[in-house]
Amino acid sequence: MVMKEKWSLFSQNKWAQVLLFTLFVFVTSAALYFSQKSVIAFLLLLSSLLILHYLKLKKITKWVVAAGLLFILIPFASSGGPAFQSYMDVATMVGIYVSMALGLNIVVGMAGLLDLGFVAFFAVGAYSYSIFATPQASNFMPFGTFPLGGESFWMFLIIGGFVAAIAGVLIGIPVLRVKGDYLAIVTLGFGEIIRILFNNADRPVNITGGAMGIASVTPPKIFGMELIFPNQFYFVTLVILLFTLFAVIRLEQSKLGRSWKAVRENEIAAQAMGIPIVKTKLMAFALGASFSGMMGVVFAAKQAFIDPTSFTLMESFTILVMVVLGGMGSVPGVILGAAVVTILNLQVLTELTNWINQLNFNGVISIPEALSPAKMQKFIFGAILVSFALYRPKGLIPAKNKVFDEKKLKDAIKKKSQISTD
Amino acid sequence: MSILEVTNLTKTFGGLIANQDVSMNVEKGSITAVIGPNGAGKTTFFNMITGVYQPTSGDIKLEGKSVVGIKADEVSKRGISRTFQNIRLFGEMSVIENVLVGMHTQLKTNLLGIFLNFPGTKKEELEAEEEAYRLLKHFDLAHLLNEKANNLSYGAQRKLEIARALATKPKLILLDEPAAGMNPKETKELTEIIKRMGEEFDVSVLLIEHDMKLVMEISEHIIVLDHGEKIAEGNPEEIRTNPKVIEAYLGSSAVHAPTTTQPV
Amino acid sequence: MFLEMIQTLPQVLIDGLTLGAVYAVVALGYTMVYGILQLINFAHGEIFMTGAFIGTALFIFLMGMSWITAIPQILVLIVVLVVTASLTGLMGMGIERVAYRPLRKAPRLIPLITAIGISFILQDVVRFIAELSSGNYIVTGPSLFTEQITLKLSSVSSNFNDASFKSSFIIVLVIAIILMVSLDYFINKTKYGIAMRAVALDRDTASLMSINVNKMISLTFFIGSALGGATGVLFAVQYGTIDPFIGFILGMKAFIAAVLGGIGNIRGAMFGGILLGVLEMFAAANLSLITAGILGAEYKDVFAFAILILVLIFKPEGLLGRPVAEKV
Repeated sequence: MVMKEKWSLFSQNKWAQVLLFTLFVFVTSAALYFSQKSVIAFLLLLSSLLILHYLKLKKITKWVVAAGLLFILIPFASSGGPAFQSYMDVATMVGIYVSMALGLNIVVGMAGLLDLGFVAFFAVGAYSYSIFATPQASNFMPFGTFPLGGESFWMFLIIGGFVAAIAGVLIGIPVLRVKGDYLAIVTLGFGEIIRILFNNADRPVNITGGAMGIASVTPPKIFGMELIFPNQFYFVTLVILLFTLFAVIRLEQSKLGRSWKAVRENEIAAQAMGIPIVKTKLMAFALGASFSGMMGVVFAAKQAFIDPTSFTLMESFTILVMVVLGGMGSVPGVILGAAVVTILNLQVLTELTNWINQLNFNGVISIPEALSPAKMQKFIFGAILVSFALYRPKGLIPAKNKVFDEKKLKDAIKKKSQISTD
Repeated sequence: MSILEVTNLTKTFGGLIANQDVSMNVEKGSITAVIGPNGAGKTTFFNMITGVYQPTSGDIKLEGKSVVGIKADEVSKRGISRTFQNIRLFGEMSVIENVLVGMHTQLKTNLLGIFLNFPGTKKEELEAEEEAYRLLKHFDLAHLLNEKANNLSYGAQRKLEIARALATKPKLILLDEPAAGMNPKETKELTEIIKRMGEEFDVSVLLIEHDMKLVMEISEHIIVLDHGEKIAEGNPEEIRTNPKVIEAYLGSSAVHAPTTTQPV
Repeated sequence: MFLEMIQTLPQVLIDGLTLGAVYAVVALGYTMVYGILQLINFAHGEIFMTGAFIGTALFIFLMGMSWITAIPQILVLIVVLVVTASLTGLMGMGIERVAYRPLRKAPRLIPLITAIGISFILQDVVRFIAELSSGNYIVTGPSLFTEQITLKLSSVSSNFNDASFKSSFIIVLVIAIILMVSLDYFINKTKYGIAMRAVALDRDTASLMSINVNKMISLTFFIGSALGGATGVLFAVQYGTIDPFIGFILGMKAFIAAVLGGIGNIRGAMFGGILLGVLEMFAAANLSLITAGILGAEYKDVFAFAILILVLIFKPEGLLGRPVAEKV
């Protein structure tokens, strides 16, 4: 009882929260800076962004603090030692996946279309840069010299997004006429088709390098500086991510966002309200795809090597798990979901596996190889999907409708009626 | 002047005839009712007018222009809006958002405007919100604006559906059993709302309703469907005494029965 | 080119029929569940896969017994089929009870997501058990019915090449046909079958006719999954080597077969399965021939999905289905 009261008191008190939050950020970043091996400190520091989401502060303050954390504190705190680049690599991957999950969220969460081939758009983006930023393009391009320089990367961010959007429309046109349930299968099929195409498009003309993939992709260049290290890509990703986030939030609160949700809630009623169904769904497909395509370009540049194995069905499902876990239709939820799943994949599972291997090696315990956490990914994903669908279908942070200010609307109307009666 | 002209409308599903050779007019500014026993083809008739189904033959004209062969969203843009017999709200969206969806076609902003939040977009959006709020107020739903549509009472949901339909600024509104499931007090309220609707929103009304008291009270013109065919039409008094109508509702014996059974 | 295609046709037909029979029986499970719940049971492919593993495990276990050689192989196969089918049938029922039934009133996206989740869990659990017990998740069962039979078609007409097959081909085909015919009889002629169809047509009205809807849905899952598991055994007998991931894509293709024939339509699923199997084998054999080497056999999966898309666009009710209008 006393605890509860104290808690409610605390959740009301802005300054106590701010103080505690600052302390938390300070301690975790110091811990990360001085003890470089501490993955836990790194994860705790990242989680400060989640805490920030729940603080009782003004929206604009939260954005400024978040930007400060992401642009300055996190890169600085993790720069204290040799693990710097690996932290930055993980953070970059988180950024890439968050952006993709936000894209899929438009399709699945807002428009209610289950797309199981979403990674195809990521692949389209990645290949569009890789082909032209390597000699690969000269195999079929009648003019121009390839590879293009690193400056073209910035151009390709837009091109990649655009090409992915076109792919989204092309896939969407036949698919979206289909009744809802089949959409899952058809998109899954398309995802596979695109992967198989990339896997085999080395004959008769070598476009994609086939199963061998494309190696030594030209690194991006800005102001004459080549970007090759994860910490450089971290900032690139961050900027694109912020752009994505901004776009997604604007879309959500626009007439387009409303029509997506209307189509999701009741297609027939939406159409009766004058919303063109196929066009609206195509928009969701195209816009969702473009975010994914853009990050595909970043991914290709960061890895400097791509092949079809990066774009399997499992990747599509991984992004779906992120959206379901975080909360379909909820932007903060999807960000959290994407971060959790990416970190689980890249850090937690590998760390656990290493740890268990160590224990096995030392003979402390004996856990069979088959149970190694790195191999349990599918089981974990399956368990997340089932348990969330059954017990928490709205995800970790459920989607919220925009809250309209009644008083403001009332006043505005009053004011207008005064003017008209004057 | 008639706003809607329906001529020889027929719809068949395989061998089943849902509507046969139905012709009717809706006068501008009037309230017209379509009645008939269950399964008489009333909702199919509505679905054809709103473009959900395409008629097998016949024509539908809104202000002299045919709306046959175009999709439901285009029909809505031309100025025909509707409510549904089995309520179809956007359940997870808030009350005011439901109305805002109704205003979809009046909002002119494009993608660029959405991303860059042009002053024009902002202004348009604000005006739409105010308009939506005014509509909600009219239907006594304003205090529920941020509530999820699913959480509303049955009667409130019916009213919200009408508000949403009016938000499209229709010339003709089709109400499919608007009073179904309402209690007597709510029905009375609704009767008043529909009566005033024509004037306040500059709209003609076509409704399906089983509550004969409501129908007789507000309709200027009534069309009776039975087994997909129009069997009678006229003003409430004519319909009340039409033997064919009595037969359709109560069976042939009722017509010759000595007691004056009122089908209403 | 045309002559070459004719020459390989007998072999294509044999391989296509085998694969098609497998698709057809698995498609039955999809079509039955879709017919009754309008749900794409993604986990059905995994039930098929589990059936293949249970069957192989049983074979390995039984073949270890010394007395087994005294019994005809076909009897052993029947015992394995019955045991596997009962186990996978119960499994299907359990999955419905735990993962789908609580979601019957949820938005339609949600049960689809659990279905995908269940499918993942099954894949990994089977992988885990297989890897734990045999060290490798790719398992090869004992070889059965390996007698090689050659059809000397070239002596009939010089247009054809000889075609050859294992004797298991005949067994797979015959058992698959028996399964399909008995299901067809069950659905159309027995009391339970009629009740199941009633539930599929209109759940509410069926329950008013004092049909226990939940029981019928359970029964549907039992039968569909039992058939799927049995087909898994047949698959293992025919192709020998299995892994935990065979179910997913094969399941997808069986679903495509169900859509091709007309979803919810039992005979349609059988027809669609056989047709898809033959078409796919034909594509695998002749794609590179037809496209002058540009597209190879690796595009046969693309081919299956392309069929799906074409069917959905031009004849969404399937080849044997009837169009339905959505109620407004």
